[in-house]
Amino acid sequence: MGRGYIVEALVEQYLVNLQTVHASCISGILIGQCSSQRDYVVLAAQTPQKDCGAVRGCSLGDLDADWVTEHGRQVSRMLPGGLSVLGVFLITSPDLSKEAQNTLRKLVYAMEKLISMGRLWNLTEEDVSERVGLHICSKTKKAVCRTFDVRDPKSSARPADWKYQSGVSDSWPVLKCSVDLDLYFPLSETSSENLENSVKIGLQKWAKQMESSVCLINGKHSDSDAELLTGLRKNAKGHHPNFRVQIMLPMQRSSAAAEACGGSLTLAGVLQCRAYLHSHKLKARQAAEAIKRDIMNTLSSRTEMFFEDLLINEGDGGKGIQPLPQRVFAPLPGTSLSLCDYMFPDEGAAEVGERFKEMLDFDIPEEQIDMTQEVITGKFLWHHIFLYYYYDTLLYFSRYLMLGHDVVEVLHLDFGRWPVVSGTLPSLNLPRTTNELACTHPFLSRAVIALHFTLLVTTRF
Amino acid sequence: MVASDRSAIILRARGSLELRCLLDGTDGSHVQKAVSRAFERVRARVTSQALVFRVRDSPMFIWPNKGCQVTEGIAETTACKDLQQRLRSGEPDGGKRSSKKKDKRNGDTSVINIDLLMELTEPGREAGPTLTRREVRHHLAQMALPVDCVVTAGMDDGIGDAFSRLVGALCSQLTDMESAVLRHISGTSLLVPQPFHFHLPEPTGLVTLVYPTGVPDAQLESFRKEMHVRFALPEDRPYLRRANAYHFPGEPFKDGYLRNPHLALSHPALEDAKPFLVQGVYSYHHYMQDRMDDSGWGCAYRSLQTICSWFQQQGYTERVVPSHKEIQQALVDVGDKPSSFVGSRQWIGSIEVQAVLDQLLGITSRILFVSQGSELVNQGRELASHFQREGTPIMIGGGVLAHTILGVLWSETTGDIRFLILDPHYTGGEDLQLVTDKVA
Repeated sequence: MGRGYIVEALVEQYLVNLQTVHASCISGILIGQCSSQRDYVVLAAQTPQKDCGAVRGCSLGDLDADWVTEHGRQVSRMLPGGLSVLGVFLITSPDLSKEAQNTLRKLVYAMEKLISMGRLWNLTEEDVSERVGLHICSKTKKAVCRTFDVRDPKSSARPADWKYQSGVSDSWPVLKCSVDLDLYFPLSETSSENLENSVKIGLQKWAKQMESSVCLINGKHSDSDAELLTGLRKNAKGHHPNFRVQIMLPMQRSSAAAEACGGSLTLAGVLQCRAYLHSHKLKARQAAEAIKRDIMNTLSSRTEMFFEDLLINEGDGGKGIQPLPQRVFAPLPGTSLSLCDYMFPDEGAAEVGERFKEMLDFDIPEEQIDMTQEVITGKFLWHHIFLYYYYDTLLYFSRYLMLGHDVVEVLHLDFGRWPVVSGTLPSLNLPRTTNELACTHPFLSRAVIALHFTLLVTTRF
Repeated sequence: MVASDRSAIILRARGSLELRCLLDGTDGSHVQKAVSRAFERVRARVTSQALVFRVRDSPMFIWPNKGCQVTEGIAETTACKDLQQRLRSGEPDGGKRSSKKKDKRNGDTSVINIDLLMELTEPGREAGPTLTRREVRHHLAQMALPVDCVVTAGMDDGIGDAFSRLVGALCSQLTDMESAVLRHISGTSLLVPQPFHFHLPEPTGLVTLVYPTGVPDAQLESFRKEMHVRFALPEDRPYLRRANAYHFPGEPFKDGYLRNPHLALSHPALEDAKPFLVQGVYSYHHYMQDRMDDSGWGCAYRSLQTICSWFQQQGYTERVVPSHKEIQQALVDVGDKPSSFVGSRQWIGSIEVQAVLDQLLGITSRILFVSQGSELVNQGRELASHFQREGTPIMIGGGVLAHTILGVLWSETTGDIRFLILDPHYTGGEDLQLVTDKVA
């Protein structure tokens, strides 16, 4: 008795299209959600071409396993909680069918290994450890589906059921939350300390706390085996109400320590997190696990990308405050799910759209990319700065972050009830004291010296 | 022993708050400022909207700084006694922890235990995630502050009010901790402040003081003197040593020994008689405890251990209860026994008990001789007045048996007497039920 795979009808269409377009070997990955009885596949994406313009190889030998698995790893960053890379597919001509099975096995194990290396959490006993290898013969169009147990590399492949169905993810409930981050990692005195390493070690400690955190869903503690939907009723439209997720940490029992440090790293800000569940009948515990894993994934993905970017651009890590890539969401066509991507400060919707096309092989119009979920802090203009006008002569600012930004000027200051400065603020390179701020701007010189300013970023430069 | 006040409930909040002091310099004023700033940050967290109270053994979560939002079923104006009722009856959900058979003698439902949590999903700010790097050399001193504060609330008080007082108590405890840390600072090393609760005689009631860990009671004497004056306490007995800390009903003891098992019994009816009992707390020591097989010869040793435990728990000594070997060694040290005595299975009697108490604890004891066991009934007045004045347990030894007398039920008019005995010959486990059932 093997596993069953319920596959979105759109995936069938995609795979069929692939076969008619190319006559050679095609590899790709399958994305969806596991559950104890069966798995759900919602997306298939072919491996992007290594070099533009090159002809796709005809034989399996031409297949670059590292490239395929790297594609899988990068795609796994674009998946919100609950979704994961379930396996690999290969489309070959009939004579290569047998060899394809061996290749599939290699790819599945290598992919799983690569993806799990960067994760801050490990699969538990309860998680499904079977991954799928799908082979489609380009001539007979027959699909042969087998599963491999990634916990046991020596095990043999087991046959599995591959069934198409439409609207697989239609009524999948979604959990959303914003998580406040305030992590502090001391750096040791020896300056040869690897920055990335320190962050990794610190994140692992944080991940342990996250795993043991208390999660309330709609006010109920989620450590029970009770179903998610207990007590909830559908509203008039037949939709289930949104789930409210609250995560709290029991206070830490760290041991007292005093050490000399050469510096420190702080990770702070608000992360937008999301997880999809395949059924309302899921236990509350599993739902909590899905959203917690998304929280851990999003932070580790971002820091990884930040350091990768640093490496590519040969930066030295910079000083002061650096923004981490911002999370944006885009809907998956034909489904109710959204996938995500991370946008660096110097990127825009166009770059995100390109990445979706390259990685996941679907087009998404720029205006559908949702960039409003997370707040940008970066080298941007502040469109509006709200100054709180207080007692006629006092200006009271509410604090926010200022990052290294270009020289800007105040264009207009309107002292009404809500004084608004539109345009840009002069570059200040992180004023150490509010005195600095007051002095460089004559019209602000009446500002009170206990400053905070609230900046609402609405547009990017 | 403390009598629980039927008209009040104690709310006890416990948690572990992280304190992080970044010391840019190591001179005194720098360190002081850094510590104060760090405490300021902790206080800000405690008064923020992210603070959550979780009521132990229940699915209730409360946000005291958010207008007292609660998860279910209860509101700001719910009376404390209703909250207690819900805890007693247990929630009909999982039922795993429904403890309907609460031991009435424990009376542990007069304390509501609360754990402190911090919510992460209520950011209170809008900021994208950033990575900040500081390359300034500094000293980092961090610790987890073990906050533990209590407020007493009347049964009919609204919980909203009680919880906001609890938050206030948290803040003032943090201030106390700050002063304790600053008082005992040395260079860049900080001592962890620890709160202790003391149940002082009425009308003061429950009081919380913060002592730094690692500093023995002896060094804190001047501080305690101040407190004795502040609370108008007599100077001849300890009230505020660590050993005097109030033990909340229902909490297990770290060492696993039973405390005052005699309280679970009621005294027999005797015409015109009054009970005169041991005052304070002792722990019950008996055969076979601590994996020491002293069955048949160790009864006097165990009785002595019970008496030593009384002195320790009333705060007269910091010395822990001595083991058989330590008792034997003490007798060798005073010259009463040869060195071969240590490790042997020889009995000791009242004279030896007196010697050990003097040697190890510096306590002088009085020996009362009776020529026959039956003559003990004539000592009613002596015994009664001892329990009234000193209140310590009495060891009785004669021939081949030893026991501990914890009290007498004595009638001044008829001279009738009954003895409350703690039997060291018991060989079972530390189970209150078993121990009290065996009473003849």
